[in-house]
Order: sequence, then C-alpha cells, then structure tokens
Amino acid sequence: MDALIAPVRDLLGPAWLPVWTLVKIVALVVPLIIGVAYLTFWERKVIGWMQVRIGPNRVGPWGLLQPFADTAKLMFKEIVVPTGANRYLFFIAPMLAIGPAVAAWAVVPLTDTLVIADINAGLLYIIAMTSMGVYGIILAGWASNSKYAFLGALRSAAQIVSYELAMGFALVAVLMCANSLNLREIVAGQEGGAAHWYVWPLLPMFVVYIVSGIAETNRHPFDLAEGESEIVAGFHVEYSGVAFAVFFLAEYMSMILIAVLASVLFLGGWLSPFPQLNDLAIGGFAPLGDGLLWLGVKMAFVLLIFLWVRATFPRYRYDQVMRLGWKVFIPLTLVWIGFIGTMMQTRFAPMFH
Amino acid sequence: MLENYFPVLMFIAVGLAVGGSLLAVGRLVAPHRPDPRKNSPYECGFEAFEDARMKFDVRYYLVAILFILFDLEIAFLFPWAVVLPDIGFFGYAAMMIFLAILVVGFVYEWKKGALEWE
Amino acid sequence: MLFSTAVFYVFAAILVFAALCVITVRNPVHAALWLVLSFFTAAAIWLLLGAEFLAITLVLVYVGAVMVLFLFVIMMLDVNFEDLRRDFRSYLPVGAAVGLLVLLEMVLVIVAGTAGAGSAGSLPAGSNTQALGRLLYVDYVYPFELAAVLLLVAIVAAIALTYRRRRGAKVQDPGAQVKVRREDRVRLLEMPAEKRDG
Repeated sequence: MDALIAPVRDLLGPAWLPVWTLVKIVALVVPLIIGVAYLTFWERKVIGWMQVRIGPNRVGPWGLLQPFADTAKLMFKEIVVPTGANRYLFFIAPMLAIGPAVAAWAVVPLTDTLVIADINAGLLYIIAMTSMGVYGIILAGWASNSKYAFLGALRSAAQIVSYELAMGFALVAVLMCANSLNLREIVAGQEGGAAHWYVWPLLPMFVVYIVSGIAETNRHPFDLAEGESEIVAGFHVEYSGVAFAVFFLAEYMSMILIAVLASVLFLGGWLSPFPQLNDLAIGGFAPLGDGLLWLGVKMAFVLLIFLWVRATFPRYRYDQVMRLGWKVFIPLTLVWIGFIGTMMQTRFAPMFH
Repeated sequence: MLENYFPVLMFIAVGLAVGGSLLAVGRLVAPHRPDPRKNSPYECGFEAFEDARMKFDVRYYLVAILFILFDLEIAFLFPWAVVLPDIGFFGYAAMMIFLAILVVGFVYEWKKGALEWE
Repeated sequence: MLFSTAVFYVFAAILVFAALCVITVRNPVHAALWLVLSFFTAAAIWLLLGAEFLAITLVLVYVGAVMVLFLFVIMMLDVNFEDLRRDFRSYLPVGAAVGLLVLLEMVLVIVAGTAGAGSAGSLPAGSNTQALGRLLYVDYVYPFELAAVLLLVAIVAAIALTYRRRRGAKVQDPGAQVKVRREDRVRLLEMPAEKRDG
C-alpha cells in the first residue's frame, strides 16, 4: 500500500494532505450514501414482512434496484418554490440539515486504526454537530411560508431539543465509565468480551439513548412533526424533488449515526463479543475477530430496532412526547448519574469501568 | 491541533457540498415550469390568504430557554465525568451539590406546571 | 506555522465579514444566521489557539442552544421592525454612549494585553478537557457552585416571567392515562349461554 502511495505523495508535495484527506472522506461518505439507500429498501422490506406483505420486489432482482429508481425519480421532479418563500433560506435549509449529519462522521472510528480525525474531544464534537441539525428544520419551516410547515417545524424543534438533553445526560453516564471523550479510547475501555460492554452497568441509559435517538430523528412513533393526518408532512411539506430527497438523506444519515454511536458507546464497537475468536486466525487473519464485521452486525441490530419500533407502536400525542422527555427521561438519567457517581466512591467502582 | 482538526473542517465542507451539489443537480435536470396555482403554499381546501409566520405559544420559548440552561449543565458535567477518578471524593461532592441546586430548579419547574402541555 | 497563520487570517476575515453582516442586513432572521456563522468561525479560531474543549462547547452552547432560542424569538415574536427603525434617532445618543464605552473597554484590554499582562501561557500536556476538569472542580469549586445558583435563578426567572397557566384550556394528564388499568374500565361478565329459538 505504502509503495503505491509514496510516488503520488512526492508528486503532489504540499497539496498531498488535503487530497489524501479528501480521498478518505469520499471513501467514507459514498458507502454511507449507498448504505442510506439500502436502509430505505430494508426498512420497506422489514415493515412489509411484519405486515404480511412482500415489500418492493419489482425493480431488479428481489427489488434490489428500488432505491436507485426512487433516487432517479426524485432527481427529475420539479423543485417547487412556494410564493412568499424566502428563496435563499429555502435552499440553504436542506444543506444545513445534511451538513452536520455528514460532518459528525469525521470522528467516528470504524476500527482501531480506521478513523479520519482522531481528536481528543470526539464525543463532544458529535454532540455539537447533532445539535446543529435543528437549524435545517426551523429554517425549512420558516422559509416555506406555509402554516403547516411552520407548525411542523416548531413541533419538531421543541421535540428535538428536549430529547437532546436526555441524550446528553445519557452520554455523561458513558463518560463517567470511560473517562475519555475520545471514541477510540471509549471502545478500548470495553475490551475483554461482551461482559465488559458499558451496556450492562448503563442499561437504563442505553434504553434512554435509543429512544431519544428515535425521537431526535423524528422517527415513528415520535414522528408527530409529520403526523400525516393532522399536519400533512411537517416542516418539509413544501419541499419536492431533490430538495425533499436531501432532507430524507439527512434523516437516514442521522439514524445510521445514532446506530454507530450506540454500538461504539454501549456495545463495544468493533470488539468481538468473545475475545477467544481473535485466536481463530487463518494465516494471521481472524475472520471473526475484532473488526468491521462486528461493528456492522451491531449497527444492523440497532437499526433493526428502529424499524421494528416503527412497525409496532402507535404514534404518541404531543403532550405525551414532551412528558416522556422531560418528566421521565431527564429525572431517570439524573438519578442514574448520581447512582453511578456514588457507586464509584465505593469499593464497587471497578464494576462500572 | 490543526493537523487533528483539518480533516474535520474538510468534512464539514464536504457535508455542505453533498447537499449543495444534490440541489444543483436538481436545478439542472429537473423541469422548471412554475404557475401560480402550483406555487401557492399548501392549504387544506381554501386559498392561502396571509403570511404564515405568526405569533406563537409562549411555551415554545420556555422550552428553548430551559433547553439552554440544561445544556449548560451538561457542558459542566462533561469535563467532570472525564476527570472523575482524578478528583476523588471532593470532586464528586462538588458535582452532587451542583446537581442538587439544579434539581431544586427542576422540581420548581415541575410543580409550577411548566412541563405540562395542554 | 505559516499554514496555520494563513488559516487564521481566512477565519478572521470570515468572522469580521459575518459580524458586519449581523448589524447591516435588514432581515433579522438573516442577521441571526450571520451571527451563527460568526460564532462558528470564532470557535475555529479558538481551536487554532489549542482550546479544543472551549471551542466545541462554544458551538454546542451558543450555536446549538442560544441561537436556536434567538431564532424562535425572532421568527415568532412578529416584531414590526419598521416601527423600531423609526425610533432610531431617539435611541441614538444612548446607543452611541454604550458603543463608545464598549470600545474604550476593548482598547484597554488590548493595550493591557500587549503590554504583557495577559499572554496565553503554554498549554498543559494531554487533553485539555482533563486539564480544565482538574482545575474547575477542585481549585475553582466556589465559582462552580455559584454557577449552579446562577442557573437556578435563571430557571426560576424564566418560568416566573413567561409562564402563565391558560384559563379554560383542556388538559390531559398522560401520567394518569398511563396508570389506567383494564379493571377500571372493562368489566367481564359471566353469562350462561342461552338457547335461541326459531
């Protein structure tokens, strides 16, 4: 690998660093976008099966080309800009929705060595980025000059900020166990098999994190910003064609981000649940040892929970959503932080590290 | 510091570029035939007659203000959680007092009914 | 070093431009968005100084929370900005006085800073979140607790000032709804099967 890269590096000189970084970023973002495409496909299939339907099966073998057909369709649809809309903000809003959702991936470690920016304050950076996603929604609702969009935007903004708090407190609990903001070190702290994952001492926090993640991405059963029967589609009613697709992409990108974070913070990231599997090597390579495979399995599991929940539960009412966030999750997380903090002062501390 | 954060900056730029380029493709490829009917904002059964940006329930501001305050609390908890083993019992007690003071605020908020939606 | 200096000037230029736009653009929502951009570039400059925890917290708290409230208020308060602008002249003397005062203070800070009073020391080794944490909760514990009191006052004040219970609004109590048991609502009756004739 190095022998291949070296001549190019010499050729480019000082321009090498940005070019190489860009290559790495593209190598992460392109599979992500394809992942989003197949997540939508998988979602429709899973929900179809749960409802004893077949799901998409017409385009390509087993319907596998469906997401590309959808993309192509959206691409060739007119982008309608409503009268009275603020034109600049109308187009900036989807960019602000997707920008942070993509940018948060910069610090996500996929394996021990596979990370684009290995910064000290990684987790803090991710929280800062996800907290910016709300701008896309508020601006989309306001710029459209439509009452439905405006109402939907208000609802989802208030909902998102409420659940961000619960999420933040849940992450503080993880930090208390890991004592590092660096995601790679957080995973390293869970080494030694499935029993050492943080999900066990922090089980209530894991549940809070997953449910807040669902609420944060405005997914069913918390999708009352969309509430088809009351306010049609929420903040993006007025968006059509590709502009709508960008919001869609942002939503699914954040879903995958929450899945990867849940795996990294609570489920031991790329670590294999049984460390013995690392010894089962064939020619120096352990196919079932620590690595991308396990991260993928864990992410798929978390994403399946997202889809499963969507097919199972009826939609919440707005006051119920706010009650769950403020009156159940925030007190619960605060109590758990106090509990862990207290336990760490006793001789049981090693159980929580 | 700069070496570590340079990829992050580039990533933010790429993130915005993904959105921007998709929109640009849409503008280029998709048809553009506006007419007054099509462009009118969505309404259910009648003509849209006024500016949709209206005054709103004060409760939404309250949620936003409370969000800021609790967000600050989280910002204080982060470094504390990271250095917890180093600062020992003293640091633990300091944060418990901090949280206790804020729980008073939270209880006030709860009892006052500010967390209720009707 | 040269490269980071260049990066600094790029960010500084964006910051100054964005800050100028905040006070010159007509649309208040645009002004708020320019303010978001200037916070963001300010955070990038703090990063160049090596203050990574503070820089990201600036984005988290100011961009992620404070500006969201600003946008809420600007978008929904429906202030008529033409009215405000008409009184521009009558507010001018007070505004100018405050502006001059701020300018004077900034000059003093800069003069004192360049005279060598407040130069940034060298960075502690390791993650600066840890360095900050070790100081904040032990050496500066008193101001830290004061911050809690300040936040408490803010919570109480925010609720006391903005919250009014609306009269005659219909309230549902989800807590009570969750507690409902089947036994309270449905009664199952045992009945002997009857033979239907005809």
